Amino acid sequence: MSTVKILRVILRGLPNTLLLLSWSLILATVLGMLLTRMKLAKGRFWQGLANLYLNLVRGTPPLLMLLLSYYGLPVLLKLISINIEHWTRLMFGVFGLTIGWSAYLAEAFRSAYLSVDPGQLEAARSVGMNNRDALFRIILPQAAVNALPNVENLVIGLVKATSLVYVLGLFDMYNEAANLSNQTAGIHQLQIFVLLALTYWLIVLIIEAIFRQIRKHFALMA
Amino acid sequence: MLLSVKKLEKRFGKRTVLKGVDFSVDQGEVVVIIGPSGSGKTTLLRNLNFLENADAGTMNFKDRQIDLAHPKKDDVHFVRRHSAMVFQNYNLFKNKTAQENIAEGLIYGQGMDKRQALTIASDELKSLGLAAQANHYPSQLSGGQQQRIGIARATVLKPDVILFDEPTSALDPELVGTVLDDMRRLAQAGQTMVVVTHQMSFAKNVASRIVFFDDGQIVESGSPDQVFNHPREERTRQFLGALAENY
Repeated sequence: MSTVKILRVILRGLPNTLLLLSWSLILATVLGMLLTRMKLAKGRFWQGLANLYLNLVRGTPPLLMLLLSYYGLPVLLKLISINIEHWTRLMFGVFGLTIGWSAYLAEAFRSAYLSVDPGQLEAARSVGMNNRDALFRIILPQAAVNALPNVENLVIGLVKATSLVYVLGLFDMYNEAANLSNQTAGIHQLQIFVLLALTYWLIVLIIEAIFRQIRKHFALMA
Repeated sequence: MLLSVKKLEKRFGKRTVLKGVDFSVDQGEVVVIIGPSGSGKTTLLRNLNFLENADAGTMNFKDRQIDLAHPKKDDVHFVRRHSAMVFQNYNLFKNKTAQENIAEGLIYGQGMDKRQALTIASDELKSLGLAAQANHYPSQLSGGQQQRIGIARATVLKPDVILFDEPTSALDPELVGTVLDDMRRLAQAGQTMVVVTHQMSFAKNVASRIVFFDDGQIVESGSPDQVFNHPREERTRQFLGALAENY
C-alpha cells in the first residue's frame, strides 16, 4: 500500500485529534486554574473538595476516565434531570480528557505558583500595591513562566492521550489507522503504525517548537 | 516623633524573637541598627512595615495609633503608603524592566498616571547613571545595579521613612560602595532612614543614632561616637570587640 494512501487515511482523523487536543486543553486549563485556586484557598472546605477531586482523578487511568464519561456521565446527570443523550462522541472525549488533564494541570499550576519567591509579594506590598494588583501584575505572570516546562510535558502527554478515544468509537488519527490495518487484514500493519507514530511525532515537534519560542520570549523574566 | 513602637513582641512558634521592643525614629534621623545575626533586627524592620504580624505592641506613625497585633487594613495601607522598604535580596519584580520596577509603586501604590510614572522612573535611572539599563530585566543586571534600582523604587515614592534590610549583605564587596554612596546621598538630603546593616563604616559616618540589638531587645542606643567609642553595656563592648578582631 502506498505511503500517500496510508497518510491520507491517517490525516482524515487529524481534525478530530486537533479538536480533542485544543478543546480539552482550553477547558482543562480553566478547570485546572479553578482547582488551584481552591487548593490554595484558606477554607478547609474548598481545599478538601479540590483534594478529593485531584485524588480521584489522578488515580483513574485516562482510558477508564473516557469510558466512565461516556457510559457514566449520562446516567449521573439523568439523576438530576439533565439529558445529554444528544452529546456527540467528540464531546464525551473532550469531557473525559478535560477531567483527567485538569487535575494534572492544577498540580503544575500550584507548584508554579508556590515557586514564586515570597519576596516578590513582599516587595509588591511594600510599594503599596493591593493584593489583587500584586497577584495579577507580579505573582501570576511569574508563576505562568515557571509553569511552562511542566505544562509543555502535559500538553505532549495530552496529544498522545487523544488516541485513547478509539474506545468511544471516535475516529481520530489512531482509530483511522487501526481501522485501515484491520481492513487490510494486518498485512500493512507495521507500515501503517510507523507512519502514525511519525505523524504524532511531527505534532509533538510543532508543540515543542511553539513552547521553545514562548520560553525564549520569557527567558529574561525567570 | 515620626515613628515609634512600644512593647513590640513577636514569636515564631515557641521562640520569642522580639521581647517587648521600644523603638522610635525622628523626622530626618538615620537610625542604624547593628547586632549579631539572628538577634531579631530584620524581624523588627519587617514588623514596622507589616511584612510580619506582631503578637503584641503599639505603633504611632505620623500621629496615628495602631495596635500592632490587630492592625486595621486601613492602618496597614497607611503605613505602607508612607514608608518604603529596601530588601537584602533586592526583590526587584522579575517580570518587569528596571524602569517598570521603579514606576510600578507610583502607578499601583499611589495611583499616578502611567506615563508620568514612567517618565519619573526614566529620570531617576538617568540620575543614577543607569539610563542604558532602563529596559533591562533584573536577570540582566548586576547585584549592585539591582540594589540601586531597589533603592530608587523606594525613594520615588517619597516616603516619610525608608527601611533598609541589610541592603549590601548580598553584594560582592566591590559593588557595596556604589550602593552605600546612594544611601549616603539620601541621608544628606534629609531622608529619614532605618538601616539594618553590618557596614560599620557606614554606621559610624552616616548614622545620627546607633541602636545595638541583641537577643530580641535593644541593648543600647546612642550617637555613633557614644556607642562605638564609649559603649555603656558589656554586651555592646563584646560585640564591637569581636568585630574589631575580625576586621
